[in-house]
Amino acid sequence: MSVSPRAASAPTLPRILGPIHPRPRWTEARLLGIVAVALIVGSLSLGMTLAHRFAPYDAGGLAIYLAALGGAHVAQVLAGRRSDQILLPAVGLLGGISLLLMQRLPQDLVTLKVGGSTIGLGDIQLAWLCLAIAVATTLGIVVRSDTWLRRYKYTWAAVGIALLLLTFVLGVDVGGQRLTLRIGPVSGQPSELLKVILVVFLAGYLSENRPLLIEQDTRLGPLRLPPLPYLAPMVAMWAIALGIVVVQRDLGAALLFYAVFLALLYAATGRLSLVLIGLVLFVLGSALMASLFDHVRARIDIWIDPFADPLGTGYQIVQSLHAFARGGLLGVGLGAGLPMVGGRLPIPEIHTDFPLAALGEELGLVGVIAILGVYLVVVERGLRIGASAADDFRSILATGLALVIGVQAVIIAAGDLKVLPLTGVTLPFISYGGSSLLANAVVVGLLLALSDKGVEPPPPPTAGGWRSRLRRRPR
Amino acid sequence: MLATSSRRRPLGRTILHVAIVISMAFGVLAGAGGYWSVVVAPDLVRSPYDPAVIAAARTVPRGKILDRAGLVLARNAKDANGEFYRVYRGPAISQVVGYASGTYGRAGLERGYDAELTGLAGDALTGAFRKFGASQYDPSDLVLSLDYGLQRDAVRALGNRRGAIVMLDPTTGEVRALASTPTYDASKITDPATAATAFAALQDDKDQPLLPRATLGRYVPGSVFKIVTAMAGLGSGAITPSTTYKEQPAAEKRGLMVKGFRVHDGHHPQTGSTPLDLVSATEVSCNIWYALTGLRTGGADLVAYAGRLGFGAPLPFDLPTAASQVTGGTGKAPGGFVDDVELANASYGQGETFVTPLQMALVAATVANDGALMRPRLVTALRNKGGERQIGPERLRQVIPADEAKAINSAMVAAVEGPLGRLFTTGSKVPGVTTAGKSGTAELGGTGEPHSWFIGFAPAEAPRIAIAVLVEQAGRGGEVAAPIAGQLMAGYLAANP
Amino acid sequence: MDGFLAVIWIVRLLFLALLYLFLARVVRSLLRDLRAAAREPSSSLGRLIVLDSPSGEPPQGRSFDLDAITTLGRDVNNAIVIEDPFASAEHAVLTYRGQSWYVEDLGSTNGTYVNGGPVADLSPLGYGDEVAIGQVRLRLERARPA
Repeated sequence: MSVSPRAASAPTLPRILGPIHPRPRWTEARLLGIVAVALIVGSLSLGMTLAHRFAPYDAGGLAIYLAALGGAHVAQVLAGRRSDQILLPAVGLLGGISLLLMQRLPQDLVTLKVGGSTIGLGDIQLAWLCLAIAVATTLGIVVRSDTWLRRYKYTWAAVGIALLLLTFVLGVDVGGQRLTLRIGPVSGQPSELLKVILVVFLAGYLSENRPLLIEQDTRLGPLRLPPLPYLAPMVAMWAIALGIVVVQRDLGAALLFYAVFLALLYAATGRLSLVLIGLVLFVLGSALMASLFDHVRARIDIWIDPFADPLGTGYQIVQSLHAFARGGLLGVGLGAGLPMVGGRLPIPEIHTDFPLAALGEELGLVGVIAILGVYLVVVERGLRIGASAADDFRSILATGLALVIGVQAVIIAAGDLKVLPLTGVTLPFISYGGSSLLANAVVVGLLLALSDKGVEPPPPPTAGGWRSRLRRRPR
Repeated sequence: MLATSSRRRPLGRTILHVAIVISMAFGVLAGAGGYWSVVVAPDLVRSPYDPAVIAAARTVPRGKILDRAGLVLARNAKDANGEFYRVYRGPAISQVVGYASGTYGRAGLERGYDAELTGLAGDALTGAFRKFGASQYDPSDLVLSLDYGLQRDAVRALGNRRGAIVMLDPTTGEVRALASTPTYDASKITDPATAATAFAALQDDKDQPLLPRATLGRYVPGSVFKIVTAMAGLGSGAITPSTTYKEQPAAEKRGLMVKGFRVHDGHHPQTGSTPLDLVSATEVSCNIWYALTGLRTGGADLVAYAGRLGFGAPLPFDLPTAASQVTGGTGKAPGGFVDDVELANASYGQGETFVTPLQMALVAATVANDGALMRPRLVTALRNKGGERQIGPERLRQVIPADEAKAINSAMVAAVEGPLGRLFTTGSKVPGVTTAGKSGTAELGGTGEPHSWFIGFAPAEAPRIAIAVLVEQAGRGGEVAAPIAGQLMAGYLAANP
Repeated sequence: MDGFLAVIWIVRLLFLALLYLFLARVVRSLLRDLRAAAREPSSSLGRLIVLDSPSGEPPQGRSFDLDAITTLGRDVNNAIVIEDPFASAEHAVLTYRGQSWYVEDLGSTNGTYVNGGPVADLSPLGYGDEVAIGQVRLRLERARPA
């Protein structure tokens, strides 16, 4: 027997903090350098426009943010992991743009009393951003084993559904949507966390059942489908999405969950027929929702022709499009846009739903395309991590995490640009809001951890499992 | 087996497909960004709903609006807060110039030329570079073809009746007067002190003073539509100026049977049993002759020639216009008529025919201009820091050949100056000048008074002014509209020798 | 256009330019990463060489490129069909998990052997190891470089 004893031995417990073996991350350092210079120049542009001085705008806030990014870099160097070096700078750039935007908006959009003093939008967002960087970095350094995600997928699913139900029952209606859960002093939007849990569950389910979903056929007319019982999750997913639309009136989350689900189903099986059925279900569901619920139909009507009522129902989206138009090719410059009329911002909810429109005005088409490009880089890195992961679970998990960010960015950007009906999801890393920033930080942290291939190999396939079922395959 | 085992490969390939799809989604977003930020941006940034435009309206003085003689029709004043508001020369021009209010939006030319008046207009390139300058705004003054004196006279001539008058130079299409009554005082809407009460009162007024009747009002034309029928008949070759119908004199007495429906006429016994031709039928406004002409021309050609005059779609103009129609267009017969009965009635303007006063003025002007339709225009020049940009006359199309237009010209002269025509168009003749015209009495069904119409031009041999007068429910065309037209044309020709 | 305005616009355009500089550097890193990936050995994970096959199925000397999951047995639906009286219909499966290969006996009648020793249920497999199913012997080798 030349079997090496190392491989046969049981996997060791995850090391929380091993001995320090620093490993330089030059790519990340160089990219972070560019990010820092870019953000300082951006802040300078903002300061010159708003304060008419050749000095950065709120230099203190920017310094804290850049220090947090630098700290994250140093922590990763010290941890010595061979994780991805592009994600942190890319996300850091988006977060920095978010900081500049929130510093530039009227500070009284959101206020918080801390001790005796009141802090405004920019400072609150800065705090959330720093916390998000800390969360992402910590996860990226500490997580070396995925057992806790892999093994307990049904527990995670249960947690997710519990969160959903809790929001259904105890949620607070804000602006006609029941998205916010308030427990004591803490409030948040569980759907942001739910998307991560959903991806974890789907990765577990799909990787375990992948061979079955691929190999076995049920013939339904001209269609070749996996065994019908294994389509149950698809129908359940569809029903959950519809439930979110009905109860929470949250079209954005429903669309996000469903799109990510379909994409992962395709990635895992390669079966286009499943995607087609999913799309048919989607169309049927949308038609059903539109015929049953006024708020869904209203959204669609507004989407088709917002200019029909530019001062009423179509106001937000029309104003968003006007903002893009005012920006033109090069933008009006940071701080120079968003004309206030009667002391009001042109677009309500600009800091959560329409940051892209604000950036479209101030940075222009050129800036918007750059920002979309950074998102695409983040997604591409996530998918690359997925494609080169050691096993199916990690592959699907990384793919799903990348898609959660990418699809969410597409949904809200498309809403701002009237490509899709407007739905109230946040623009990842840029929109104001703690729930959104922290959930996306978890996503980035897990992707960082998954990108390190020099860690514990995934567990060997267990006897039994899918193969015991395969053996019972009728001939 | 090979097929299935290839499907079990690691996920790289399907993830690549997902990556391609999401990249395409981002591509679509970039494309949409380009559409809104570059392609349609010039329209959006000039829209009165754009907050930058709204903000500018309060801080940047708008361009002035001048009449053809340089008389200021709209200027700016400052309120107590130092913000600008508009002051207008008087109620006579309100239906044309409109208003620009921070609270109640824009109307009229203030709306149509908002971008130029605010100084936001320009192509995408100048727009992209203007932001590098100190001020983003370069307001233009508008120079109109309108004659303020004539406009005021036209509004006075209508008095407290509801109606509209359009006067234009048939050779250039330049509008000299565009009156709609009742009118309102736009300065009261823009003056912050009186705005709220004035606007509310205007909106509640059942006479609809805010409605520009000359361009947006649609009326039954009655006999003035016969000029359109004559153009279609001659233009399509269905008739010649000497065409007569031998059944016509008898039908005068018994009525004309069309598909069992009797077309009545009978108000000109003077012509006896002589069959009428184009000139004499127009002189006495013979419904039977025009019904027969319409039937011979056919619905398709009647609608087609009306279309060449501008019917069927909003007119190309500096103000919004309603589309005039020959028929409702729902029928199966050629041209969209229900049957020949509707066609016969439409031929003398009593079918499902609805026209705007501006459209009828263009009909008269086209006859006057030897069959060539000029694009009607109000704004003749834009002046800003860069200088003055003239907007020249534009010939839309030759509707009918010049000789056929001359034949109709003669017929319209007969309708005003002929021994019998004179009886129907009393007072429309401009003293000392050959005058052409056609009156109309548009029956509305029911018991109400008919609309009173007159269209015409002068001098007939070299026309310098064309006119359409409509007075709502005022009675016979020859009694109300015709004298107004004669008086206004006389005044204009005297002032512009 | 006064000087301050000119400087503002230079700074604004510089900011946009820096965003694109960042993207350009990232794309350069990504391309370098892709080129490095392309230099790696072929996507095949390994090969199985038939050393000994009395029945001629599989043919002796034949080399099979392996998928992440490769089944072996007498049944024709297996990826590698073993025509041997001592082989079961579904005899064994080779799986590649993480960094290494594993062979698993699927409860065959006559068992699966690695380097002469019987496989209990699941056994790691190294390159160069010999797998025996009935009278058929196979050797796991690294994939050929692309």
